[in-house]
Amino acid sequence: MATIDREAVEIFQKKAAPVTIKIVEAAGLAEAMAYALEVCEKKEICELMPLAADAAPQQSPTERTKVICAPNLTDKDYKEFENLGKDKGFTLLRKGMRGYLSGIDVAFTTADGAIAETATTILESMSEDVRLATMIAEVHVIALKKSQIKKTSYDVEDYLQKQMQKGTGYTAFISGPSRTADIERVLTLGVHGPLEVHIALLEG
Amino acid sequence: MQSARSMNEYHEQIRESLDNSFLREALDKFAVAYKANRLMIFADVNAKDLIQEIAQAKDEALPRIEELYAMFKAEAEKRGVHVHRAETAAGANEIICRIAKENNCKKIIKSKSMTAEEIHMNHALEGAGCEVAETDLGEWIIQLRHEGPTHMVMPAIHLSRVQVADTFSEETGTKQESDISKLVKVARRELRAKFAGADMGISGANFAIADTGTIGICTNEGNGRLTSTLPRVHVAIAGLDKLVPNIHDALRIIKVLPRNATAQAITTYVSWMTGAAEHSQNPDKRKIMHVVFVDNGRSALAKDAICASALRCVRCGACANVCPVYRLVGGHKMGYVYIGAIGLILTYFFHGRENARHLIQNCINCEACKDVCAAGIDLPAIIQEIRARLVEEEGTPITSSLLANVLENRKLFHTLLRFGKFAQRPITGGTPFIRHLPEIFLKGQGFRALPAVASSPFRDRWEKISKILPAVGKLRVGLFAGCAQDFVYPEQLEAAVKVLSAKGCRIDFPMEQSCCGLPVRMMGERKAAENTAIRNIRAFDPARFDYIVTLCASCASYMKNSYAEVLAASTMRTEAEQFATRVRDFSSFARDVLGLGDGDFVKSGEGVCYHAPCHLCRGLGVTGQPRDLIRAAAEYKESPEEDVCCGFGGTYSVKFPEISAQLLQKKLDNLESSGAEVLVTDCPGCVMQLRGGEEKRGNKLKVEHIAEFLSRRMK
Repeated sequence: MATIDREAVEIFQKKAAPVTIKIVEAAGLAEAMAYALEVCEKKEICELMPLAADAAPQQSPTERTKVICAPNLTDKDYKEFENLGKDKGFTLLRKGMRGYLSGIDVAFTTADGAIAETATTILESMSEDVRLATMIAEVHVIALKKSQIKKTSYDVEDYLQKQMQKGTGYTAFISGPSRTADIERVLTLGVHGPLEVHIALLEG
Repeated sequence: MQSARSMNEYHEQIRESLDNSFLREALDKFAVAYKANRLMIFADVNAKDLIQEIAQAKDEALPRIEELYAMFKAEAEKRGVHVHRAETAAGANEIICRIAKENNCKKIIKSKSMTAEEIHMNHALEGAGCEVAETDLGEWIIQLRHEGPTHMVMPAIHLSRVQVADTFSEETGTKQESDISKLVKVARRELRAKFAGADMGISGANFAIADTGTIGICTNEGNGRLTSTLPRVHVAIAGLDKLVPNIHDALRIIKVLPRNATAQAITTYVSWMTGAAEHSQNPDKRKIMHVVFVDNGRSALAKDAICASALRCVRCGACANVCPVYRLVGGHKMGYVYIGAIGLILTYFFHGRENARHLIQNCINCEACKDVCAAGIDLPAIIQEIRARLVEEEGTPITSSLLANVLENRKLFHTLLRFGKFAQRPITGGTPFIRHLPEIFLKGQGFRALPAVASSPFRDRWEKISKILPAVGKLRVGLFAGCAQDFVYPEQLEAAVKVLSAKGCRIDFPMEQSCCGLPVRMMGERKAAENTAIRNIRAFDPARFDYIVTLCASCASYMKNSYAEVLAASTMRTEAEQFATRVRDFSSFARDVLGLGDGDFVKSGEGVCYHAPCHLCRGLGVTGQPRDLIRAAAEYKESPEEDVCCGFGGTYSVKFPEISAQLLQKKLDNLESSGAEVLVTDCPGCVMQLRGGEEKRGNKLKVEHIAEFLSRRMK
């Protein structure tokens, strides 16, 4: 059983708000999945981006279904995810994100680590689908175990070093939704990636 | 991109910026907000120690550049990455164009890279028949407008939402509203299509980690992630200076870089790419990844004894954020490709003296940049060094060499100053200001009244003064006058003598002292700077004085911080260091050494505001003492931005009167808003500027040197 650094968890929660990360508590992974599905249910269907200048007009929202993907779940967990989501009327995806570049609704991922001082989630992104899903989705829901939260970036240094040493890899730090302040320094979310990031904090 | 080919042309360009009210307001707001936000975001971090560590690590890595490059190359190649190295900008462009051609890439998307800007990469790629789209929002906006960036982190900070809406309307062929969130949506939509259609992505690199061959990229928008994921080819372009030994170095820089850049604890995305990651569309299911290292003068600069520290720069842009000149003129006038203080420096090293010649003059030496630099670079000192090299390379402008010759010769200099007393009579009208100076002599100086030379300099009064001073005292103080007080404001020195001798100092005034040498150093006159330093060190025999006290913040910080460096190659270096340890500014000497405070003054209810001289608050780190002294003698009235430069900057105010005037007006507006009656400061240069400005504005504030103020209130 991994130990939880309660102080680190508290710092993480405190630092999340200023970078517009929404935090919810969840008893376990299934509850986090249910939360992601609920977020998908409640949100407006995503806006589709035309992928070419001469692209056909968008399908009207009534003709399409919401899309939720979960690119980094284990086989067993993905089965559970499918089960929980099967009657919602969503398209559930695990891979093939290149086919959905014009937009999806929700990406659900499990974190590989976290840094409290900056409210950062670490996400192993060697998989192209993980990278694309977490950039194209309008909302990114991350399941993070409290025991994964370390206080500072130096505390994850050994982990990063091992990842980088072992061969090819793509590790991402994600600390909130995609943002810009390039027009008149006004903070605006969702310029390229998610408009919202939610973190389901799992006990354990 | 500053493009002036003559100083006159540069002044014209500056005028354009000064008349741009949107730019002025935007940069003003930014300057104020940035400082407050930066303070907050650094609250839980020890900035000083971190910056010190970064500086040290960078200094250790720079001489190892070749070794680090070899290590990176070996590790990255093991992981399927092609690593290139270009000695020149053209060489780098050739490599990048070749990669595009070999992989049959025509549509290119880019995330932000200053190095790509440095080598004018887009231009080269377009010449090779490629279409390049910037995906950082700010970069895209300026690309559509065919402009260069005006800030390294916020490239479109000079544009309004209305201008952006117009640009987007033109690009999309549809009228776009000037609502910022809607404009950002337009970018999301337009650029998503470009991402989807691109066959090559080009990014910069914040870090190239040698021991694992990892590229690290920081972005807020996430465009770096998309650029390095969607197209089948990814090229990362990095200056050789981006090589760091290991992940620890990168993590340490990340603790400061976003905090300093935009007052964020971290950028939203940091991507660590080790080797060629998965790509579903390539036959081997892996991305085609190239890393192009650009030298372009860096390895030579790394060996430069004085300027190498410029390569510590992590491109946070903070030196522009706090620069009072940048705040007035913006990045197009305060840089070529790189912007702000570091821009002045890198332009010289990367883009040549042709582009640096005028720019490098536009530093007021207020040291605000040095104070915030993420890597602890002494930017003003490097700027002065470059000026000196330009003088050596290109010869000296006549005015500058005249002044240098005069300052080197104390007797000639002082004779000329005395002569000024007679020459000015027809133009002072008997007041302490020069009234009717013909415009031809001092172009553009009308924004402030200039002081007249005093009837007799302090050095002529000294014999008489010294006779009535006590011959004994617990501390032996040598008074260093500096030109301004000796010849223009002797009464400030008299006031100081009164205060110091009342607190038990035995004061002497060595007659052989002369100008401290800062003006000639600022002009790049190396020899004259050495000679004036030697003269002053010899004038103050170390056996005779415990302290060398000066009332001029600029003289004090220059003598204390720079004499040893100016004389580094001379046999006088040790003496220079000894001299420097004895130098004290008046305020900290009075407060910390003499213990002046409550009980020494007849405290009044007089409202007193304070201007913190650049070379006192930053140059010497003296901040609390003058305020404590004011509080002990009167009522201290705080005002906004007390530590922003008044616009004097010595010869700067003569070279750039249009900027000096604006800085002065802003400064006086802030000070007057305190509601005080008296303005106190502790540098005669600032007194000259501020009093001259107040004289023009109708003297709402009585301007005093702190010595005058304190002597007036002494019990």
